[in-house]
Amino acid sequence: MNSRISTSPIVIVANKELRDSLRNRWVLFMGSLFLLLSLSITFAGSAVRGEFVLPALTQLMSNLSTVSVFIIPLAAILLSYDSFIGEQESGTLLLLLTYPISRTQILIGKLIGHSVVMMITISCSFGLTAILLYFVSGKYDAIELLNAFVVFITSSYLLAAYFIVLGYIVSLSVTEKAKAVAGLLFLWFLFVLVYDLLFLAILVADFSFVGERVTHVLIALNPTDLYRAINVINLDDTNASVFFVNDVTLNKGVMYLVTAAWVGCLTAVSLKIFKYKH
Amino acid sequence: MSHSLAVCQSQPIVSLTDVCLQFGDFAALTKVDFEIFPGQTLALLGHNGAGKSSLIKLILGLYQPTRGQINIADKKQLNLGYLPEDVSFYDKLTGKEVLSYFAALKQVNPSKVNQLIEEFELGYAQHRPLKTYSKGMKQRLGVAQAILSEPQVLLLDEPTVGLDPQASQFLYKKIDQLKHQGCAVVVCTHELAMIEQHLDRAFLMAKGHKLASGTLSELRKLSGLNTHITMTAIEQRIKGDRYLQSLCRDNALEVGTNQRDEMIKYLVATKNITDFNVLEPSLMDVYRYFMRQVFELETSAATVQPSRTDTPLFQQLLRYFKPQVGKGHYE
Repeated sequence: MNSRISTSPIVIVANKELRDSLRNRWVLFMGSLFLLLSLSITFAGSAVRGEFVLPALTQLMSNLSTVSVFIIPLAAILLSYDSFIGEQESGTLLLLLTYPISRTQILIGKLIGHSVVMMITISCSFGLTAILLYFVSGKYDAIELLNAFVVFITSSYLLAAYFIVLGYIVSLSVTEKAKAVAGLLFLWFLFVLVYDLLFLAILVADFSFVGERVTHVLIALNPTDLYRAINVINLDDTNASVFFVNDVTLNKGVMYLVTAAWVGCLTAVSLKIFKYKH
Repeated sequence: MSHSLAVCQSQPIVSLTDVCLQFGDFAALTKVDFEIFPGQTLALLGHNGAGKSSLIKLILGLYQPTRGQINIADKKQLNLGYLPEDVSFYDKLTGKEVLSYFAALKQVNPSKVNQLIEEFELGYAQHRPLKTYSKGMKQRLGVAQAILSEPQVLLLDEPTVGLDPQASQFLYKKIDQLKHQGCAVVVCTHELAMIEQHLDRAFLMAKGHKLASGTLSELRKLSGLNTHITMTAIEQRIKGDRYLQSLCRDNALEVGTNQRDEMIKYLVATKNITDFNVLEPSLMDVYRYFMRQVFELETSAATVQPSRTDTPLFQQLLRYFKPQVGKGHYE
């Protein structure tokens, strides 16, 4: 035994998860996909209208967030769906539980590892897009561009973290990997597509009970809507999927906090489930 | 391994007293008494679902007993090593990375990883991902993982399942080495012929109950199974001896395990026979005997009597299993 080695078990687990994701080329694959999408939207988004011009910054961020709200949760789900059920099936979860590491440390270690993986992927792909955009176009103000992408990347981290932890909850609650995938795809469908459509329908129907407070609550209840709101609020955009936020008076900081609170709540729930898992 | 044979082997390092483990209505373990001694290999035997894994998980601290006590010698944190059944580790990582990961979690010096990789003859494959490893290599890595922290108690769940005889032999050689260094080894297995050569004691379970425990010779005595003494031209050599003729079946003398030594003395003294073979009941014979008793109790109606109803063992089994007649099955 050696007393000089005292790296935290959380760091050891996080490091292993990061190494695992780098080794199976997940980061490379997802990073390339994000980059391809963001470059396509940025540089070729106007082609559908028969022209080839770079969009205004507000328009660009709106377009990027509209696409990434689908793809980032999906990537996070793919990363986390087998975190626990996969280790359970391979026997390593049982083994880990016999080691001097608590269940909380295992879960937090995984969360940090997977969050870092998503941060690398998101930062590299969207960061490179921002850099290319600045140098190639020469059209955007550096500060505005930086500000817009910092908001976009930060909110993307939070959205990814939310779906990573959602993946843990499902992974801890099912008995097979296939069930985890099916369950998470259902939740993805629910949060990303169905909820948003129902929300828009309620707004469009203009029910009398839907005031500003109800709108805020409905946005706060779903982190994907918070993500959309953070990225398109105050933007001069008439895109159908985002026009509702023109009336939203929620503070961006509050929306960040609410999204972070969702991540915290789901982490607490997953810890509770893990604690009672045999 | 820091422990030596000087460790007092008469003191159990872990003992379970009257332990029960209940999951809702299902009793995984019922009134189990169990002891592990340093410097000994204990074979944990039983049918599928007998409660072996539950017992191991209790020792590992993954479950808390519903009733009963678990005592650890020295009252200190027990240093345990564990190899789960059919563990596949992390396919994308290399053998060395996997071992280093577990070593880091146990705060073991990285030099120990290199030492174990050499000791378990995995040096040539240490930088290859685990998906390229054979079953035998993975099991060797698994045992290396289990002994990273030089454990006082090593729990191995089916360590040789699916391995070729050579790979199994290699693992048992390592297990013997660890035992001689003072480690208490518990091996949960169905490969009885293999473990028979290496065990010091066996613990037999069925349906969450302890059936019997002890050394192989104690279990043979408890079972009452006969020892077979064979020799060439047996019929001619025992001709005229009505006592020996009464014991002769299928060209062998059948004597109770308790009478074996007396019979050998008798053969040497009165017949001057020294070229005989003594075939004692194997671990498999003993295991089958105990399981058959349970099976007969389970399947017999009141009118059908099991083969040996007069033995203390039968009475013991009756006490355990009679209330559950008709439930479950044995493989």
